[in-house]
Formats: sequence, C-alpha cells, structure tokens
Amino acid sequence: MTAERVISQDVEATVRQHQEHDAAGNSKFGFIVFLLSESVIFLSFFTGYIVYKTTNPDWYPPGVTGLETREPLINTLVLVSSSFVIYVAERYLHDKKLWGFRIFLLATMAMGGYFLLGQAVEWSSLPFGFKDGLFGGMFYLLTGFHGLHVLTGILLQTLMLGRSFISGNYDNGFFGVEATSLFWHFVDVIWIVLYTLIYVWQ
Amino acid sequence: MTNISLEAPEVVRGQPYPGAPDNWKRFFTFSTDHKVIGIQYIVTSFFFFLIGGTLSMIMRGELITPDADLVDRTVYNALFTMHGSIMLFMWTFPVLVGLGNYLVPLMIGARDMAFPRLNAVSFWMVPVVGVLMLASFLVPGGPSQSGWWAYPPVSIQNPTGNLLNGQVLWILAVAISGVSSIMGAVNFVTTIFRMRTPGMTWFRTPAFVWSVLGAQLIQLYGLPALTGGAVMLLLDITIGTSFFAPERGGNPILYQHFFWFYSHPAVYVMILPVFGMFSEILPVHARKPLFGYRVIAASSILITVVSGLVWVHHMFASATPSWMRILFMVTSMLVAIPSGIKVFGWVATIWGGKIRFTTPMLFALGGISNWLFAGITGIFLASVPIDIHVNNTYFVVGHFHYVLYGAIVMGIYAGIYHWFPKMTGRMYYEGLGKLHFALTYLGTALTFLPMHPAGLMGMPRRVASYDLEFAYWNVLASLGGFLLGLSTLPFILNMVSSWIRGEKVGNNPWRAYGLEWLTSSPPTVENFEELPLVVSGPYGYGRNQPLVGNTPNPGLTEFPESLTAMQSDEL
Amino acid sequence: MSKLRAILIMTVYAILVTLASIWMAKQSYSWFPPEASAESKLLDDLFSLFTGLGTFIYLGVIGPFLYSLVFHRARKYDMSDGPPIEGNTWLEIVWTAVPLVLVLTLSFVSYRTYEKMAVRGPMELVHLHLPQIIQPAYAAPFDSTPQQEIENAVETAPIEEIDVTAKQWAWVFHYPKQDITSTELHLPVNRRVRFTLRSEDVLHGFYIPAFRLKQDVVPNHEIDFELTPVKTGTYRLRDSMFSGTYFAANQADVVVQPFNEYQQWLADAAAASPTPAFNQAAFEYSQANDQEGATKDNVVVRGWDTIPPASPPVVNYAPKHEPDSPPT
Repeated sequence: MTAERVISQDVEATVRQHQEHDAAGNSKFGFIVFLLSESVIFLSFFTGYIVYKTTNPDWYPPGVTGLETREPLINTLVLVSSSFVIYVAERYLHDKKLWGFRIFLLATMAMGGYFLLGQAVEWSSLPFGFKDGLFGGMFYLLTGFHGLHVLTGILLQTLMLGRSFISGNYDNGFFGVEATSLFWHFVDVIWIVLYTLIYVWQ
Repeated sequence: MTNISLEAPEVVRGQPYPGAPDNWKRFFTFSTDHKVIGIQYIVTSFFFFLIGGTLSMIMRGELITPDADLVDRTVYNALFTMHGSIMLFMWTFPVLVGLGNYLVPLMIGARDMAFPRLNAVSFWMVPVVGVLMLASFLVPGGPSQSGWWAYPPVSIQNPTGNLLNGQVLWILAVAISGVSSIMGAVNFVTTIFRMRTPGMTWFRTPAFVWSVLGAQLIQLYGLPALTGGAVMLLLDITIGTSFFAPERGGNPILYQHFFWFYSHPAVYVMILPVFGMFSEILPVHARKPLFGYRVIAASSILITVVSGLVWVHHMFASATPSWMRILFMVTSMLVAIPSGIKVFGWVATIWGGKIRFTTPMLFALGGISNWLFAGITGIFLASVPIDIHVNNTYFVVGHFHYVLYGAIVMGIYAGIYHWFPKMTGRMYYEGLGKLHFALTYLGTALTFLPMHPAGLMGMPRRVASYDLEFAYWNVLASLGGFLLGLSTLPFILNMVSSWIRGEKVGNNPWRAYGLEWLTSSPPTVENFEELPLVVSGPYGYGRNQPLVGNTPNPGLTEFPESLTAMQSDEL
Repeated sequence: MSKLRAILIMTVYAILVTLASIWMAKQSYSWFPPEASAESKLLDDLFSLFTGLGTFIYLGVIGPFLYSLVFHRARKYDMSDGPPIEGNTWLEIVWTAVPLVLVLTLSFVSYRTYEKMAVRGPMELVHLHLPQIIQPAYAAPFDSTPQQEIENAVETAPIEEIDVTAKQWAWVFHYPKQDITSTELHLPVNRRVRFTLRSEDVLHGFYIPAFRLKQDVVPNHEIDFELTPVKTGTYRLRDSMFSGTYFAANQADVVVQPFNEYQQWLADAAAASPTPAFNQAAFEYSQANDQEGATKDNVVVRGWDTIPPASPPVVNYAPKHEPDSPPT
C-alpha cells in the first residue's frame, strides 16, 4: 500500500507539474479549436456564394461579365508565399536568432500590406459596389471579411515585432508567435479557396 | 498507514488576484475563479428568466381572450420575440454554461478552467447582451418584432426607417452572445481535453462532462454559421445589400438554412447538459451505478454528430424540395436512438435501487417523464406529412416547451438543488423544494399540454388573436402559465433563505461519488489541496472501491462515509 | 413463483398498454378539424398510427419507471447501496436496435403517405398531368379510399387552376379561366385543385387545417400546390408563417361546394363589378391611425409603428362581412 501511495503521489506531482506549466500547450490547443470554429463562418459564406451562383444564372450586375484575374493572381502569389516567409521567421526564432526573426516578420508584414493594397486598388477600379445585386454583395462580403482577417494578422505581427524587443519576452516560450503564424497560414488557406471560388470559377 | 508522511507538493493558493474579496462582494468583481463565475452566470440568467417569464405571462394574458385586446399587435409580436430571445440567449444557454463552469473543473479534478480570464470575459458579455435586449424596448419602433428566428423579409422591413432600431440591437445582442459562447466553448473543450486529473481516462469521466463536451462542440461548429447569416442579415438591414431581400433578388430561404443549421443543434446544446445532470443525479439518489454508463456517455457525442444533420426539418413547409424533406425526415428520426438509449438507461438505473424522493431527484424524475413525452411528439414532428399539418402551430409550441420547460428547466432546477449544498455548504429546505416541484410539474402540464390539441385543430403559433374554437385550450394554458409564474416564488424564497441560514451539512451530504464531493463545501479557490489521482470509474455505488488513490482525500480532511470504510479496507 | 408472478404482471401490463394504445389511436381522429380533403384522411391515418405507437412507447417506459418509483424506495434508515449493476450488453443492444427499426419503419410509412398525397414538391415546377405516384403498385397500408378519391378526381375532370396571392395582410384568389378575383376561396368538391402560390412581400403560409396541408409562400418564387377537397362546407384558411404586425388577422374563408354551385358562383362573380373587400388589417390600421385621439383605444397597451397594410383588395367577389368562424 505504501508503494501505491508513493507511486500515486509521484505520478500526481509530475502530471501536475506538467499541467500547470503547460498553459502554453492549452493556449495552442484552444487557439486551434478557435480557428476551426472560425473557419465555419467562411464555410457558411462559401456555401452562400455557391448557392447563389448556381441558382441565379445571371447574377452579375448589369454590364459586368466577369472579373479580371491577372492582378489578383499576383496578389495571391504574394500572400501565399508570405506563409513561407513567416515560417522562416519562426525557424529563426527557434534558433534564437532574433534579428533574422524580425527581418522575416517584417517581410511578411510587407507582403500582407502589399496584398491589402492590391485589394484596395482592385476594389476602387471595379464598376460595381456592395449593393449591386447578389454578386456585388457576395464579392465584397467575402473579400472584405477576408481582408479584415489579413489586417488582423498584420496587427498581430506588429505586436509580435514590438514584443520581440522586450528582453526576456521568450523565457516562457513563444506561443504568441506560433499563434500569429498559425493564424496567417489559416488566412492563406482561406484565400486560396476564396480565389478559386471567385476568380477561377467564373 | 497514517504514520507515513509524505510532503505534499506545495501548492500556491490564494485569491485570483491580490486583495480580491472573499465574501458576497466577489460575485460583483471580475473574478477568474470558475466557481464564482459559475454562480455569476446562474444568478444573472435566473434574473433574466424572471423577465422572460413576465413577458410570457403578459402574452398568456393577451391570449386568455380570443381578441387582441390587452396589448397592441405590435406589442404582442415584440413580446414573443423578446420572450424567446431572452429565454434562450439570456437564461437557458447562460445558466447551463454556469452549471458547467461550476461543475466541470471540479468533476475532472482541475483547479480551474483552462483560460480563467477568458472565462470571466465570456461571462461579463452576458449582462451586456441583456442590457442591449432590454434597451431595445426603449428605441423608437420598439424591439425586434420578427420572432426569435428573425426570418427575412419581415426582419428586414423597418417601419421607422431608423438605423438604430430594435432589429439591429437584437442582432448585435445575439452576435455578442455568440462571441461569448464561442469563447466559452473553446474554454470548455480545452479544459475537458487537457485538464483531466491523472487517472481520469475518458471512460472514467462523469457523464455530465461528456454531455457538456458534446454541447460545446455543437457551439463550435454551429454558431459560426448563424454568425455568418446574422452578418448578412445585418448588412441587408443597414447597408441595403440584397442577400435575403427578395425585392432586390435575394433568397430569404438561404437565411433559414443558416439559422437552423445552428439553431436546431442549439436545442441539443441545451438538452445535453441536462441529460448529463440526470445521469449524475439518478445514481446518487437511487444508490446504484448509472446503467450503461459508457453507452450513455458516448451517445452524447452521437447526438452532437447527428444534430448537425437534421436542420431542414424546421423547413418542411418552406420551399423545400421533396428529396430534402425525405432525407431530413430520416436523419431527424435517428435522433430518437441516442435519446432512447439515455432514457432506457435511466429507467434501468433506478430499477431495483434505493430511491429517495429528495427535491433534486423529484425534479430529475419529472424532467425525464416530460422528456419522454416531448421526445415522442418530436418523432411525430419529424414525419413529413404530420409536420406539414402541425408545423408553425401550437403543437410545435407545446412540443418544444415540453422540452425546454418540462425537461430542461426542470433539469436545471434538479441540478441547482443537487449541487446547492456543494456551492454553499448549506442545505435547502426540503418542504419548500417539494412545493416548488409540485407547482412546476402541474404548471408545466397545465400550460403546455393544452397547446397540443390547439395545434392539431390548426391554431398557428405567434398569433395575437385567434378564432373562438381555440378559446378553451388557451384559457387552460393561460392559467397554467400564471401557475408557473407562481411556482418560482418558493424557489426564490428557498434559495435566498437557505443560502443565508440553511443548515450546514458538511462536504458530502448525499454520500455521493464524484470528485466534486471530495473537496470542501463550498470548495476553496483552486478546488483541491492536491490533485486527485483517480483509480476507478464514476458511480461506484455498492462496489466498495475507492474513487481516488490519494490519502487523505485530495479535498480536505473529512471523508465521505461511504468512502472511509472501503478505503481503510483497501489500504 | 416470483418469476411466474413477474411474467404474469408483465403480460397483463402489456395487454393493457396495447389496449390503451389502440384506444388512443382511435381517439386521435377526434383531435382534428373535419376531414375536408382526401389528403386529410391520409394524414389522419398516419397520425393515428403514430399516436398508437407513441402511446405504446410512453406507457411501456413510464410503467416500469413508476413501478420502480413505488416499489424500489429506500427504507427510512437504510443507508446501504443498491446492487452495483453497471449495464447489460444484450439489453443495451436491444434498446438501440428496436428504436432504430421502429423509426426507420415510421420514416418509410411517412414517406409512402407523403407520396400518396402528391402535394407536389414546391420546387418541382414541371406540370405532370397525372401524379405518377398514384399507381396501384403502391399497396396502401391503410384505407385506400382517399387514394382512390384523388385518383378519381384527377381522372374524371381537368384540374382546376387557381392563383393565390398573399400579401401583408390579405389573401386574393384569382380564377384565371374566368379571370375573376375573390377574397373568399371557393373550391369544387371532388375535383383536383392546383394552386399557384405567390407572395407580394414577405413569407406567408398557405394553411387550411381542415385539409391538413400547408405550404409557405415565398416572394419571387411561384409554388405549385395540389389538393383534393372531398367534403362541402366552410373552412378557414390561415396564414401560418409569421408575416408581421397583422399576421393573426390574415385569414380567409374556404368554401367547398358541389360543382354546379361552384360554377354558378363563378358565373355570378364574373358578372359582378370589382369592389373593395373588407380587410381586417386595413380596418384595424385605419382605426388606429385615422381618428385623432382615438388612437388604439381598443387595447390597454399601445403599440409601435408598423408596416402599413396593403389597401383592401378590389375583387369581383367579396364577402360582405368578416370571415366566418369555422364550425366547431
């Protein structure tokens, strides 16, 4: 019986140690759960888009036949490659090379910024607005909602960049950077689906 | 065995933040203790339960006569809209989150939820939602009058032309409630997956925890769909986009899909934790293990999955093609199977037990009998031809109030009474509790049974006036409604007076199994002196097995009688 | 001995439950309005089946439940626990499988009833002259008269076509062949009727309880809907999908009459010049808003702004009064 107790307390102590110091693990788990849930909002918008498109044969606003795909494609390439850039930044952080991390994070932010700028340019050149029928509504809803996520991602990256200058910031791991990076990959994947739906499937 | 002294791991214990009050004032602070938050949820939502109940009694006052003569038709429409919205978003959801918040960490042997601060933020959004809902009574044009479904095009129509109107406030309130629920769900799922104490494997986890997990998973996959639909609806109302506006080419039926994709599973978000509480309460007061525990636990997750595939049964009379009607009829009928497993399991649990009619037991038994009835009328509603006749009639109103009041509210009462000694360290008054039960059970039957025949005769729901042929049933239902209003008085009296000066009853007055009963009543901050090491499954009644391997027990010094004997045998 | 007694009790209880279920199934017919359409008979049969089975399940579960509550109580000072039975695999398999078979059967029976009603899926806009489902291949589990009635109606005469327009808050019926309009729905008995449902503003619900049929009316979306009235009389059409302020008042009378009377009514209506019909919503709205000071003094609690009702429809045939209450 003594042995049982000793073992039990031993196990207990280890696991508790593990549990109480694994706040970062919890956060990561929780963040992934949150992203999965968030993706359902996009999924519902995509479903709406597909339903509207398939049930309304002529749903473009008058005078609109389709969308220009070239500039958006460049935009897409920039955004998708920024996913690799932020990955590199993360690797640098793992190796405790802070300046490499900062430079690549900055590069990611620049690429995200370029994407948003390209989006703004495209929006301003389009002949239809938010209120122009179902297509107008769906187009601006999807790109706008995604754009908000890109903006959020850039703000998170700014925050991470700023915090990298605080000494001792990474003593307890770098969950913040991991989450930011995860969020950025998520935003990218969503964009790929979105691009396929809006630009490729015309 | 007592002379061996091992240094218990030193625990850093204390208040959630320095200087936090330790008395009643803590319930008015931004406390991060899951037990404080749980009680904050329960009390706040009960306050809104009373408001929602008052609204319903005004409605029953209107409906006691056939003509629309007590309130104006617009007022009646606002009343049923706000009654539904407040009862769901401000009472049923939050009160169950509150019970879950209080119990889940205790039951799985955790010191708190995974994200205590997020937990507090989730709670403090609830009063904001409530204020927005109530404030909408004061804006020009009154609160939303489109029902809690907010179906377009009616919800898009804006008679006052103001941008700030009841419907917009309603959507904002629902959106904030949604954010709060998603944050809560992330918290619960993370807690249940990652914070179970050593030895608590999945099939040693209490059925209540399983059911909360099932419910919160639904929130995670369902709520975002409603959010998507609500965003589009808000854009239609405010900016003038055309998603659901038929005059601009939109499709109002699509909104119904978004809405029900969440809002049907939402019923299971509410009923699952109640099922869980039934599964906890019956074994304690019948002194028998939960019959078929594993299957009952797993059936919660089965319901989570199936409930995502049934939403179109709310739309059989909408412009729904036949193949969809038939497909969703079959999936909806399938829900009867996991529900049946639970009911049969409960009956087998009490069979041959040593039953005591305590107040929580009475409420649980009453809730189960009501659920049985509501489940059977639910199968009626799943059948397409029957549903074509009765949907949008009082038959449906009777059915879902039997679920919501008969099963869910009774289950919530059962839970509150059962864990009241744990939350306060004091016992409620049994006599008042039984009076409360009698009034509630009779009131439920008198209010909601007559709605079924009225619906079969063809009385549509949401009407402010009706034909004379329905008067008889409506008078009965109105009288029952007032009785239900009355039934809350002994409850309030009981809770307030027992909390202040009820008999102190120690840590485990029910002699119940379960980690929550091993710690003090009320549990201290961080719940356990040392984390319990679970060595056997739950519900070990009559089995002479210890639940935990720690000695002394991980809570405090006092042993539950039933555990003391067997533990000294064992060690 | 005790085993024998248990078997005896169970047998007696099973017989009682069966009898009660049969009684309830028969009783269920009385819970409905008159069976005024062929479809309503199909529905009532189905409902009766559900009621019988539902009663059987309810009593079958509640009996042991109550028995246990009465006979398995703890004695006052008995602190012991019950037997530690944790489950029984066979029992659990049985009570998973039996409901499964049961609900699949009920789904199948419902499906067949639905097919026989042949109300038309709302999105199936193809006009078929004879509902294919009405074929002898589908042997009826119940009384086959209603099915026969539908079939006769379809075979003996052309389908009557009627346009239905729903708006906030009025029903207008248009008979395209005669080009007449009415706010009262007249139908010939024993003829198949096909409605084309339209809405001018929001969702409405076309619901005639005596016919047991209901279909939402969706703006921008024509919906075909068929039924076969088989009993003369006056019934009530109600709006079943919440449509705003005066939703509850959005009702109309449905008059099912012999074919010659129906023809006569059509002829009379064609001769009449269009007049504004009485409209409850418009009436209440004008009462509330026209008279200075008298605003809504018929209610205790005053209301808020509302979407104004459409002006009373101008029709060939307008009943001179508010809709009649259906016979109780």
